[in-house]
Parts: sequence; C-alpha cells; structure tokens
Amino acid sequence: MFRDIYRIRVAEKFSFFLLLSVFLFSCSKEPVREQKPPPDPPPPADTTNYKYGFFIVNEGNFNWGNASVTFIDSATGLAEQDIYQLANNRPLGDVAQSMKVFRERAFIVVNNSNKVEVVNLRDFESVKSIEGFNSPRYIEFVDSAKAYVTNLHKDISVIDLNTLTVTHSIPTPEWTEGMVRYQQYMFVTCVGSFNEPNSKRKAKVLIINTKEDRIVDSIQTGKEPMGIVIDKKLKLWVLCSGGWDGYEPPVLVRINPDLREVEKAFIFPTSAEIPDRLAINPSGDTLYYLKNGIFQMAVNSASLPTQAFIPSSGRLFYGLAIHPIDGTIFATDAIDYVQDGKGYEFSSSTGAQINVWQAGRIPGSFCFGQQQNRKTIQ
Amino acid sequence: MSREIGSKGSGFIVVFFFFITLKTVFPQSGSDTVRLKEVEIKAGFQIDNRGFKRVKMDSTILIPRMEMSLGTLLSQYSTIFIKSYGASNLATPSFRGTTAHHTQVEWNGININSPMLGQIDLSLVPVSQFEGVEILYGAAGITRTSGAFGGIVNLASGPDWLNKTKVTLSQTLASFQNFTTDLSVSLGNTNFQSLTKMNLGSGKNDFPFFNDYADSVMRQANAGNLQIGFSEDAFIKIRNRHLITGRLWYSSSRREIPPLNTNPDPSHDENQEDRSWKGVLEYKYVEKAFNFTIRSAFVNDFLHYRYNGLVDAKHRYSSSINQFRLAFSGFRRWTINPGVDYTYSWVNSDAYAGQKRRTVLAGFTEVIFIPSKKLSLSCIAREEVVDGLLMPFIPALGVEYRPWPNPNISFSGNISRNYRYPSLNDLYWETWGNPDLLPEISYSAEGDITWNWLSNDKTFFMEIEITGYYILLKDMIVWTPSSSGSSVWIPENISEVLSRGLEFGINASILLGKTSLDLNGTYNYCRSTYEKQLTPDDASLGKQLIYTPVNTANTSLRISRKNFYFSYIFNYIGRRYTGKDNLTYMPGYNLSNIFFGKNIHMNKFVLSLQLEINNLFDLDYQSVVNRPMPGRNFALTIRGNFTDKSNK
Repeated sequence: MFRDIYRIRVAEKFSFFLLLSVFLFSCSKEPVREQKPPPDPPPPADTTNYKYGFFIVNEGNFNWGNASVTFIDSATGLAEQDIYQLANNRPLGDVAQSMKVFRERAFIVVNNSNKVEVVNLRDFESVKSIEGFNSPRYIEFVDSAKAYVTNLHKDISVIDLNTLTVTHSIPTPEWTEGMVRYQQYMFVTCVGSFNEPNSKRKAKVLIINTKEDRIVDSIQTGKEPMGIVIDKKLKLWVLCSGGWDGYEPPVLVRINPDLREVEKAFIFPTSAEIPDRLAINPSGDTLYYLKNGIFQMAVNSASLPTQAFIPSSGRLFYGLAIHPIDGTIFATDAIDYVQDGKGYEFSSSTGAQINVWQAGRIPGSFCFGQQQNRKTIQ
Repeated sequence: MSREIGSKGSGFIVVFFFFITLKTVFPQSGSDTVRLKEVEIKAGFQIDNRGFKRVKMDSTILIPRMEMSLGTLLSQYSTIFIKSYGASNLATPSFRGTTAHHTQVEWNGININSPMLGQIDLSLVPVSQFEGVEILYGAAGITRTSGAFGGIVNLASGPDWLNKTKVTLSQTLASFQNFTTDLSVSLGNTNFQSLTKMNLGSGKNDFPFFNDYADSVMRQANAGNLQIGFSEDAFIKIRNRHLITGRLWYSSSRREIPPLNTNPDPSHDENQEDRSWKGVLEYKYVEKAFNFTIRSAFVNDFLHYRYNGLVDAKHRYSSSINQFRLAFSGFRRWTINPGVDYTYSWVNSDAYAGQKRRTVLAGFTEVIFIPSKKLSLSCIAREEVVDGLLMPFIPALGVEYRPWPNPNISFSGNISRNYRYPSLNDLYWETWGNPDLLPEISYSAEGDITWNWLSNDKTFFMEIEITGYYILLKDMIVWTPSSSGSSVWIPENISEVLSRGLEFGINASILLGKTSLDLNGTYNYCRSTYEKQLTPDDASLGKQLIYTPVNTANTSLRISRKNFYFSYIFNYIGRRYTGKDNLTYMPGYNLSNIFFGKNIHMNKFVLSLQLEINNLFDLDYQSVVNRPMPGRNFALTIRGNFTDKSNK
C-alpha cells in the first residue's frame, strides 16, 4: 500500500515538474512573421537620400502581402532591398503596381491593398496612406494640385495633392489603365468591365478634360488597350493585347489626339504571343515593348519588327522601362514568380547587357527619381 | 498586447472547475478505466506490414478532439505537415516533402480527393464523423490508388459487433463564438449494426490579432463558418460468411474567407460553399481460404466560390467508384490479393469549356510470400488505363525481417515506382489547361526499424519506429508563366524534386498504480529540394521546397487517474521558406495545447466534462504569410455517453 502511495506521489510530482518546466521553457516569444535577409552590403551613411537613383517596384505575390521597393543608388550602382519596410517598419502591402515621383515625393500605387502610399524622397518615410480606391493601377499628375489614379473598377480617382486625399472620382465604364497628358486632356486606356469576356468589352481610349474632370470623348481601339505613350510628333500610341483569352490578334495603334481617331494600326501576326509594357525613349522616336524578348520599333517604321532586339534567352521579362534621360533599356526578370527577381540594364544601341541587380518578388515596374547627368556604371 | 479573450477564458475555467470538483454522487460500477490492471495497448506502429508502413490512430486519440477538423488532428498528432490558412480555413497536407496533390484521403477505402484539384481541404472533414484514422506511408498506398507519393490518410468506421446501444451527445462551446454539437447513435446486435452520426458546427472566428500593417490590434473579419454533417453506416452479417455494408455521408459547409491582413477592407466579401454526398454499398464474402469484396460508391461534390464580385464560380463533380477485391490464401506460404477498380468521373465547372470526364480502369495484385516466421516478402503490381491510355506500370517490392520473437523487432523496407496523372484542372482549366500533360513519375526507397515491448507484469508498453525514405519525383507538374507572355500561365511537366528524410516515432504507455501515462512523440526530418534549374536566373536549384519545413516534432503526454485525465500536446514546426530561392522564410515556432477532463460514471451512462486550452502560451504566430492565427483560445465540451454492450 505504501508503495502504491509512493508511486502515485512520484507520478504527481513528475507531472507537476513537467508542467512547470514546460511553462518556463516556453516563456518569451517573438511574434512569428515572415523574415527577410538583412541588407547586404549594409547601406552607406548617405543612402537615406533617395533622390539620385531609381527604383524597381516589386509587385509581390497576389494575396501574400509581400510587395516591396528596391532602390539602386546612382552613385554606387548598388541595389538596396525592401526600402519601404526599412524606413517605416511595416510592410508596403499587397501588389505594388506602379510608382511615380512628383516634387520630392514618391507615390506608390498598392493595387490589392487599395492604397496609394506617399513617401518623401529624403528618407522614404511615409507621409500619408491615401485610401478610397477601387483596386488602383497607375497615377498621373495633372498639375501641382491634382492627380488621377486609374482603377480596375468603377472610376478614375482624383487626388488633391495638398490634402493627399481622394476628393472625388470620374465614373468610367470599368477598368482604366494607362494615362498620357496632352494639352488640357488626359488620354486614358479603358479595357472594359473586369468580369466580362473580351467579346463583350468595349475597348477604347477615354479623353478627359482635366479642368472639369469630365469625359468628353472616346476613341475605339483593339481589345485590351493597356499601355499608352506619346511620341515626338505628338501622336499617341496604344498597345492592345487582343485579350487574355486570345480573342483577336494584338494590335499597336497610332492615334491623332487632335482629330481623335486611329491613324494607323499595326496588327501582330498571331495571338499566341502577347506584347506588353509599351514604352518610348526620351527623344520620342523609338517605341519598345515586351513579347517574350524586348522589341524596338522606330515611330516612322512601316511595319512591326519581326525579331526581338534583345531576346529573352530563357528569362521571363516582366517589366520594361526606358531611362528618361539616357534612353537605356531597363527590364526585369520575374523568373518563376515564386522567388526574388532581377533587374537589367541594356544598351539601346547595341542591346548589350550593362548591369544586373537583385530585385524583390515579381519586379514589375521602374520609377526614375531626379537624375543628375549620370554616367552609366560599368 | 492585451487580449479581450482573457476575461472570457477565466470565465470558462471557473465554470469548469466547479463541475470537476463535484463529488460523484452515483455509485461507480463496471468502469473499465478504474479496474484496469493492464495497460491498454494502443499499438500505433503496425508490424507485419511486409515493408509497407502503416500507423493507426484510434478512438482514444480521436474522442477528446471530436470537435476538431482532420487537419488540426493530423497537425498535432502525425508526421504529416499541415499548411493552414487560419482557423477553419483551408488546410492542406504535405507528406514526406511532397505536395498536397501527392496525399490522398480515403473514406473507408473510397478516394475523396477532388479530381479537379487533385487535393482535399482537410478543414472540411470533422473528426466526429469517423471512428479511426489509418495512415499509409509512401508505397503502402499502391494497393489502393496510384499517385499518392507521400501517402494516404484513410478515415474508417467499422462495426462493433458487441455493441447493443451506444448513444453519444456532445456539445462544445469554444472561443470566438464557436459552437459544435455532435450526436452519434449506434444500435444493433451480433448480426446487425447501425451507426448514425450528426454534427453541427458554427463559429464567428473573430479572434483578435496584431496587424503589423495597420500597427494595431484588430479582430479577424469575415471568418465565420457553418458546417453540417450527417452519416449513416449500416452493417449486416449473415452466418459469419456474408457482410453487407451500406454507408451514406452528407456534409455541407459555408465558409467566409478573411482578407489578407495587409488589405483590411471592411467590405471584403469572399466565401466558399461546399456540399457533398457520398454513398457506398459493399458486399463481402468470407471463406476459409479466400474472401472477396465488391464495393460500389458514388460521390457528388459541389463547390461555389465568390470573391468580392470579381469571381463567382461553381464547380460540380461526380464520381462512380467500383472496386473488386479478392484475398486468396489457399497456398501454404502464399497469399494473393488481386483487385480491379473502375472509376468514372465527370465535372461541370464554370472554369472548364463544357463537361469533362475521366475514366480510370485499374488492375493490381499483391503477392505475399512468407517463407518463414522471420521473413515475409510482398510484391505489388499495378497497372491503370486512364481515358483509354495505358499509364506507366507501378511495381513495388517490400520485405520484412523479424530475426527474434524477443525482442519484438522488425527490419523492413520497400522500393517502388509510382505515377500521378494530372488533375482535371491541369488538363482542362479554361484557356490555359494543358491536355498534353504527361503523368508525374516517382521512384522511392524506404527502410524501417520497428520495435515494441510489453513488460512482464503488463504495466509498461513501449514502441519505437524509425523510417528513412528517399523519393525522386520527376516530370512534376507546375503552373508557370509561358513563353506566350508573362500573364499567361500553363501547367507543364518541368520540375524535379528530391525528397529524403527520417521519421522517428515513439509511443509509451505506463500504468503506475491507478495512474496511467501515455506518451506519443514524433520527429520528422525532411530535405525536399528542387533539382532542376529552369531558367538562367532561377536560383532554386538545391533549395528546400516552399512551405515545407525541414524539422517538425509532435509530442503528446496524457495522464489519467481514476476518472480524471490531463493531456499536454506540444508541436514544433520548423522554418518554412516563402520563396524558391530560400531568401525569405517563416520562422520556426512551437505551440502548446492542453486539455483535461473528468468522466462521471453512473451505471451505463458517462458524463464527461472537458476543457481545452489551445495555444497555451498565447503565441502570436502565422502559418502562412500574412494570415493571422488565433492566440490562446478555449473549448469547453460536455459529453454524455450511454453504452449497453452485450456480454459475449
């Protein structure tokens, strides 16, 4: 009997000590959050100034919340990752679609977080988080007091740049994408309703009077007009993908903005390859777009280029931009969307690779800050 | 940071302790747990498997966790890693470093993975709906199906012929307005048994969490769920020769899906409805030298997913599954188990252009040769014809060697080749499905040592199992951006994965006077890596698969004495990478859960009261990036059980 009691006491003591050790063992706990590698090399002292260099905007995976911004310093040529998180100690959000600099401030359009993050270029610290969008895509500045933001749904938001709020909106027939200013108008590509198939969507370019914030006219284009640029002769170019469902072959159209009509249409030979990311060089005489590789076309060319100027060579080119001063070609490689990508710089004359940088997850677009007369860094 | 739940929690505890300090008024009689002089052997690790590893989880583990989902149960007790998006949200399994496609879930031998996705959402399967769980590892699943490179989880409910009447009713009240009701009625005699189960669960799941993005504590929004289930299993035994089984299982769930914590949109509207009917009719004939089973099942699943007005998609699939199994042991040392399966599935989905069908005709046989008491060999061959096309041949060879009766130790191993045909989504998803996809192929090898020991006075039982495995997965199907354009993704057979690891398990049961202790532990080491560089900048070669931890461990300790029991469960989940380049990761963490309760016996009636405290140390963690998980939470269960067994 005493042995029984002894056994029981032992068991009870054992369980008590087990519990106690478990309590002690599991005491302090850091919150479990996604970890990113520390910056390598550590940023030099004066890199808290983001004015001289350019940015790669990394979308991040949809519904993962891992959007970020990479900064490449003009002076050193080195890339610094995740600068928004570093400066503000919180994540940027979900799907950073685009970014633009205006008067010492950067505006980052975070599509799936429904926000435009405004930071100052001195230290990338957040000035304001503007809310009230409908899945925002791109931002374009009308003047020092006003900017437009296109949305996937419903309308174009109008931001007051003094209060940094959405003051009102311009209702649109659904998804609006790229914008270009011409005189007192904003030309905006309008894809149509997000949910509808391309057979039903009415693809067009909207013409908005920027003094009255009102749609005054529209020009019909091919299906899914995405990118829009203006050339040296003040003609507008719109790249239409033909539809994600291959509804029709892609087409590149040239628009006369005064007559408000399509002057010329370059139809692509097949809908099996979809061109994207229309861009133009600073002298306004050469167009660029991605179609597996990087294609280059003079604005007075009679036909579409048949071969890529810079072939992809197995890379997944996702973003494309032309340097606003040097005219060099910048592109991103998203690899497979489930690892960090890369940014490239190529010569616009030879197509040779000049630079490559590590970027973040799904690098999609570029943003060029204020540039000194920069030399290309070898 | 303060958690409002603290005050509610202490309320629970006060009520609970009041109950368990009530002295039992009624005399105790016929109580098994009190009179037990021997430890109950719940041998989880099966010996005599001829090299094909199986583990059983029986009702003693399942009953106290009845209000849970299968996903939560497996994450706490098994070696399977469960990737969870949140409380009662999507939970998918990863077995031995393979993906959710390579784990199959079966219900009494019927495959219930969706043929569309090729996987199953474990949060939709409530533990209360079945009586036992059996896990088949790797090649052990080849007699059941192809494609389960990782393994199979089989949910089973069998007849208890000694049962006369058994009724169980339980009600659980848990944190965040979670309520679960389970009713189980089992009636019968030595020739007939009927098992009826119903469950009803609902929850708001508005748990508080710290949102880094908003820099404040918020309540999880749009996370409610409602689940209803009903099942009926009927068994008729005629002269110990014929067994007729009929089963029916209906389940319906509606789940709200919360927004990502970086998109705290109050108008976020994302939800999913799942409705499923499953029915089986089975006939088994038993003779001395052989027995055969004919089984015919019908499964109908409906899924409706809505996302913020952007997506509104309905999918419906139906399957007719027919199986014939023969077990022939007429020869002295040989047993031959051939079988034929015929499955016909059809899918109507908003994402497919028109109805899609699939027929699978499978023929297989297992030949077991036992030359002596020490050695047994098993050879499995399986061949399938899918939509008229002959699939790769599936062979497996297993061996088990038991050199001594004492100690009871078995050395076993197997090698196999397996394949998995693409899911219907891979083949037929609107515009981008790839009907030219080839099946994935796997080669695997496995070695195992299992040992168990029972003390002479039968108060101490222990078992240990160590398994090493090596799996090469070729032609793995991955959705990647195509050369047509970065916005166009198609599935392709391009990837290659090598998974190798170690599984260690220990179970011990100790009886000390009137106290019994049960210890269960598992530890997993798994290196599962990408073996192909697909593009020039691809940095994934040799890196660990995303969301696949290298180290995981589960331990549970259960102490019971008289009618009181206490259980502590500890889970460690190692680092999981969130990019194929392994640059970003979710850090490893450990979770502790406890539950304790008291059984009050009154003749044939048992009243149980149980309190569960999950995430005991209130860890602020995420399993999937930016998907918050609840902090400390409680569940109080009151269960009444009436059992009338026959005396045979």
